Amino acid sequence: MKRPLLILCIVMLSAGCGKYLEKYPHNGVPRENITMEDAELLVTGMYNIAQYKPTFNGWALFDLIGGDIIRTGATNVNTARLMVEGAIDPDKSIVTTPWNGYFAGLYQINSVLEIIESMPDSQRRKEMLGTCHFFRGLYYYNLVTRWRNVPIIKGPGGENQVQAEEASVWEFVAEEFRKSYLLSADFSSKNYVSKEAASALLARTYLAMGRKGDAAALAEGLIDGQLFSLADFSSIFRGKTNAEEIFTFANLIQESSVNLSSYYYTKDSGVGGAYNFMPTAEAMNMYSESDMRKEVSVAMQGSNPVLNKYCGGDAGRDPIYIVRLAEMYLISAECLGLEGGGLERLNELRRFRGLEDVNPSDEEAFLDAVLQERRLELFGEGFRWYDLVRTGKYTSTVGVDAKYTVLPIPARELSLNGNLHQHLLWQAKNAI
Amino acid sequence: MKRLTLCFCLLTLTLLSSGLAAQENIITFPQKRMRLITAFDLIEEQGGYAVAYNEELININRKVAPPKEKNIEDIFKSLLKGTGMEAQISDRMVLIVPVNRDAEDVLPWYHTHNMIEESVIVGYGSMNRKDISSAVEVFRPEEIRGGASQSVEMVMQGRMAGVNVRSSSGSVGSRSRVSIRGIGSLTAGNEPLYVVDGIPISNTTADAGGWDGEQLNALSDINPDDIESVQILKDAASAAIYGSRATNGVVLITTKKGLRGAPRVNLDAKCSLSYIPSLHKLKVADADLYLKVQNEAIDNYNRQTGESVAHIVNPYPERGYFSWTDLVLRTAVSWKASASVSGGTDKVRYYISANARNNQGVIIGSKAEKYGVRANVEANIKRWLSVGVNINANYNYTHHVPNGNMGTSMLTHSLEHRPWDRPYREDGTYTIKDVDLLHYNLLQALYEQEAFNRNYRAIGNAFVQINFIDGLSLRSSVGGDFIYSEDYVYYGSKHMYGNSVGKLTDARKAYTSIVTDNVLSYRKSWKCRLDLDAMIGHSLSTDASSTASQTGQGFPSDDFNVNSVAAEYIDVTSGRTSWSMQSFIFRTTLKYNGRYLLTVSARADGTSKFASKNRYGFFPSVSGGWIISQEPFWKDSRTEMKIRASVGSTGNQGGIGAYAWMPLANGGYNYLNESGIAFMTKGNKKLKWEKATQYNLGVDASFFEGRFTTTVELFRKDTRDLLYNKPISATSGFTNEICNIGAMRNDGIELTLGSNISSGEFRWQGGFNISFISNRLTALIADEVLTTGSYHALKVGEEVGSFYMIKMLGIYQSDDEVPAEQYAQGVRAGDVKYEDVNGDGDIDTVNDSQFVGSANPLFTGGLSSRFTWKGFDLSFLLSFSYGNKIYQTWTGGLRLGNGLWPSQESEALARWTGPGTSNSVPRAIYGMTWNSTKFISTRYLHDGSYLRCRSLSLGYTLPSYAVRRIGFNELKVYFSADNLFILSPYRYIDPEVTTSLNATKYGTDCMWLPEPRTFSFGIKARF
Repeated sequence: MKRPLLILCIVMLSAGCGKYLEKYPHNGVPRENITMEDAELLVTGMYNIAQYKPTFNGWALFDLIGGDIIRTGATNVNTARLMVEGAIDPDKSIVTTPWNGYFAGLYQINSVLEIIESMPDSQRRKEMLGTCHFFRGLYYYNLVTRWRNVPIIKGPGGENQVQAEEASVWEFVAEEFRKSYLLSADFSSKNYVSKEAASALLARTYLAMGRKGDAAALAEGLIDGQLFSLADFSSIFRGKTNAEEIFTFANLIQESSVNLSSYYYTKDSGVGGAYNFMPTAEAMNMYSESDMRKEVSVAMQGSNPVLNKYCGGDAGRDPIYIVRLAEMYLISAECLGLEGGGLERLNELRRFRGLEDVNPSDEEAFLDAVLQERRLELFGEGFRWYDLVRTGKYTSTVGVDAKYTVLPIPARELSLNGNLHQHLLWQAKNAI
Repeated sequence: MKRLTLCFCLLTLTLLSSGLAAQENIITFPQKRMRLITAFDLIEEQGGYAVAYNEELININRKVAPPKEKNIEDIFKSLLKGTGMEAQISDRMVLIVPVNRDAEDVLPWYHTHNMIEESVIVGYGSMNRKDISSAVEVFRPEEIRGGASQSVEMVMQGRMAGVNVRSSSGSVGSRSRVSIRGIGSLTAGNEPLYVVDGIPISNTTADAGGWDGEQLNALSDINPDDIESVQILKDAASAAIYGSRATNGVVLITTKKGLRGAPRVNLDAKCSLSYIPSLHKLKVADADLYLKVQNEAIDNYNRQTGESVAHIVNPYPERGYFSWTDLVLRTAVSWKASASVSGGTDKVRYYISANARNNQGVIIGSKAEKYGVRANVEANIKRWLSVGVNINANYNYTHHVPNGNMGTSMLTHSLEHRPWDRPYREDGTYTIKDVDLLHYNLLQALYEQEAFNRNYRAIGNAFVQINFIDGLSLRSSVGGDFIYSEDYVYYGSKHMYGNSVGKLTDARKAYTSIVTDNVLSYRKSWKCRLDLDAMIGHSLSTDASSTASQTGQGFPSDDFNVNSVAAEYIDVTSGRTSWSMQSFIFRTTLKYNGRYLLTVSARADGTSKFASKNRYGFFPSVSGGWIISQEPFWKDSRTEMKIRASVGSTGNQGGIGAYAWMPLANGGYNYLNESGIAFMTKGNKKLKWEKATQYNLGVDASFFEGRFTTTVELFRKDTRDLLYNKPISATSGFTNEICNIGAMRNDGIELTLGSNISSGEFRWQGGFNISFISNRLTALIADEVLTTGSYHALKVGEEVGSFYMIKMLGIYQSDDEVPAEQYAQGVRAGDVKYEDVNGDGDIDTVNDSQFVGSANPLFTGGLSSRFTWKGFDLSFLLSFSYGNKIYQTWTGGLRLGNGLWPSQESEALARWTGPGTSNSVPRAIYGMTWNSTKFISTRYLHDGSYLRCRSLSLGYTLPSYAVRRIGFNELKVYFSADNLFILSPYRYIDPEVTTSLNATKYGTDCMWLPEPRTFSFGIKARF
């Protein structure tokens, strides 16, 4: 009678061996199981990562510190200068979350690139490589404009990275967009990377690099092409079909946590809003009455001024606009200059937006006119700060110290990676 | 009277049914009549038995004839013939009790007279306390009556040396942090392992993840009234038997069992009132003071910059003072009722109970309802076979109000409205943030949401025990912990989070933990005075959980509140995880001559949480004890003393995910509704156990026949291969990596004093404990400072939980003192002077931060006493903590012109207004962050030492002749006050609350709800 119990006991003791301790997750697969057959899935995943990793702080930064936006509510200060001084610091999330996000995105892009490069050659492989290079270019454009000399990382991983010279980072950005231009598919949808999107961003890059002729040529190519044409703000920013957007992240609600509208809209919007930031009084008044952009750019909700380009509120999501044709008009105008015939492109755009022509007397006044037009046209789309910085007008326009023309490297990164050096402007002047 | 100590084990089945295993014992009696006590002594000496008796019930000097019987049962029958007494024998324990008296009636007398010493549950078995050579604490909740304790860890608070319990907040059902002997680990896995009647249970959050506020305490499912004893295995020698989960100590909870006798019924009812004390410390400045400060800030700014920012004017000068805090707080009324029936025969014993608890929170609408039942039944079917089941089923309903770090968190945000702000507009609609108010309207948040959690939980086990031959038995058990939890969070269209269309998150979680144990144990005594107690065992456990949650938005009206009518689904998730563990267990205890003790134990654990190479861990321990007072040379029979020493190894795998080691490509990274995957999990194939080696030296002594007891413990705990989510440079693509990164050491001294003094009808039971624990990191990746969160950092040589920030030196009294670098940034007289560590004139967090103290106390402890006289009993418990710092993360009311925040009255009045006016509170200055939000600084770091009166209770037990007449055996009424006062230099209400329970981020107060003060009235009855 007792013997069977002993046997039972032994059986139970040995039952635990074998596969009992092998457990696998349900929402992922071991990395080593990923092969080139998963390339399409990885590329789709890369779009997802690319659109959300910079976070709101990343996409909106150039507006938040561009002088036309201030904080609302209890943390309200009524000058852009105080807004900037309060927001930018090596510890502030406005600096740190985008830094982390860009490098997390790069890791993804580099990992995907590595796998796709190992595939046998095909048209689709080329296109996918084009997408990878486009995103890497876009991410490095965002990095170099903010932090200037950042590490150039061309493969997955890497902790103790060393910073590259600013000029070589810019060269790298241009190289990436050139590769993307050569490899990417022709334009089929604004939500996917295309040859044209790469060429538009290459134009933007050349403008920043001072290669004005190249920039103008690329911009003109897009303006003259048959694919794109200017469209009303009421279609671009209200989700209607238009031919102006060249590349826009879809940013669907289930797929992204970046909610631009919530930061700008109030509860009075009818769709909710956390209303963290608002346009300054000056920005509210910068559009003339005849400007067709005005209503979609700024509005009053109850007694509160709001940026009106993103209308999803708390309940929705808005696309993240990366590049559209109007910017090409402005790049072309700026690069050609007053003498080179740039005024016509500027006035063409102004006329389309319902404004009178301008007639600046000299190049300096012309540049101011172009910058003012960029300010009006691209308000809330992430341009203003760098436009002022690259033209040397930031400190005088906003009235802040020169160090705010570059972002400080996050304190956390400096302490974790001894190879990184804080930008000179952010080092104390009489440092030992 | 000779005082005896004998073990009485409530758990072991065989105990009270006399003579289970008939043993042949050779006890030689002299062939002449002798005194009864002489016979007892012979039995003790020769048979290795301990005999306990009540001198008031039996004449031990009566003469008895030498028994001729061989069987121990028969020997006692013969000795006790005609006395009206009988012997209850189990193993080597003999209790002399009146014939046919219920054990439950008899036992208390033996307890209170120190005649028997309880056995100690030691994991997979029990031991006589005297034979224990490791550090184990025992506490019986029954010893305290009344009180507001909602859960088991609150019962332990302040009672035991080296056990530090702190609640995260005073919200209903909030979690608390229990640390045993300091910091066990850097990860969140810092909590002890909880084992209820042999089943390791989940002590993580009870909710399903749908609620953004504070998490719910999963331990509150155990009704404190059902607890027989709580035992803490503190050192490795005791805890190593739980191996890989025991580094942070083990809390063994034993629930009540039935005893032989007629059914007895216990009834318990209690009603309580709670409120938040000392609210005056949080008073918001009135309109005049607010405007004075705000406009002074603007004047200072204008003067300094030449700008002309306009003054703020009161738009509603007719409005008087208004407190949003009073608006949302209330005096809460709670009640609790429980009933139990227990009893049994020689064959079957049972304990069944039911309880209902209704706890109101001090915030309007906050409430928790709990219902639970328990059945513990054990049966001796045959002499060789016994079985039992313990089943506990609970239902909890918690009605949430915004708390924790939520933007609508009630107490925090009640301090952030301007003096003229009101919850309603004149037309009766809500005032709204940014339109009428600076912050969320709290009434809108309360009334326009419906958020609750329903939690269903069953904990149970069943066992069968087979006694093969004398001393050899097999116990097989299977146990489970089953949780089903439902979170419902509905934000109506008028709620600030309702997106104007209504939003509903409906989340579910199912958790199952199943443990199968087989333990073979053997006990034997040899005539050469050697006792052996050995066991080997095997255990398999699997934890599996699944979660599902949908968030929908867009409801036709607030009357529609299920997701099937939502216009769209903004988030739908489901998840599944499981992990498992296989263990082999061994322990043996040897006792020689009743005074030399040796225990060796070992456990090998394999877990699915690590890659196959690192899967198994081995955790051995050894401990020895010497009962000096049993030595022949020890002359003082009124004093007992034991010395013990142990060393052992334990492990930790808590706080890391089930698949943490695996580098993964994760799904769900979709774009334009197409599936995508991404490399989002870094993993670490080298991940392995965190291990600790602990050394313990202890002395137990009792004086004057047990009237005073003392225990001193010295310990050292070296933890290595710390599991930590190490911050790494973001350029790697990740900001953290889970790894084994370093080592730390905890050293400590614990002192426990106890007294148990009776004189006539007066009795005093006192307890005092104090523990000094020092912690420091002994190794890390490198010697550099590793910051953890915003306020703390890790560094070799520093304590884990150390604050690392910029040090405030005072206030600049004149512009001349301000360094040029700072002057250029607008710093002037009246601004905060920070320590410029690197001397560059500027202040920055990288170069100027320093270690400024720790969130951990230098020492903690408790002092308790219980006085009984006739029917009255008075008891109190004080607990104290010294040297712990607390950082006030809420700075809203302290900004003095940086933004439009209302001021705390105390801060506004203390501000710097000219040279010499203040060296701690800065001037008011508009728009500048320098003084308040630019740096994490010691301006907000406070001394959090305290002495708290946890409870004071007065009870009266009605005379038994009176209650018997109305059918009761016992009737007691009591009145108690919890959290009666707190003495602390901390300027806000409660230095014990903390927003993080993580050891590396501990000790931060963000104006979460403090612990309320509670007055209770209760009644206990037994019949």
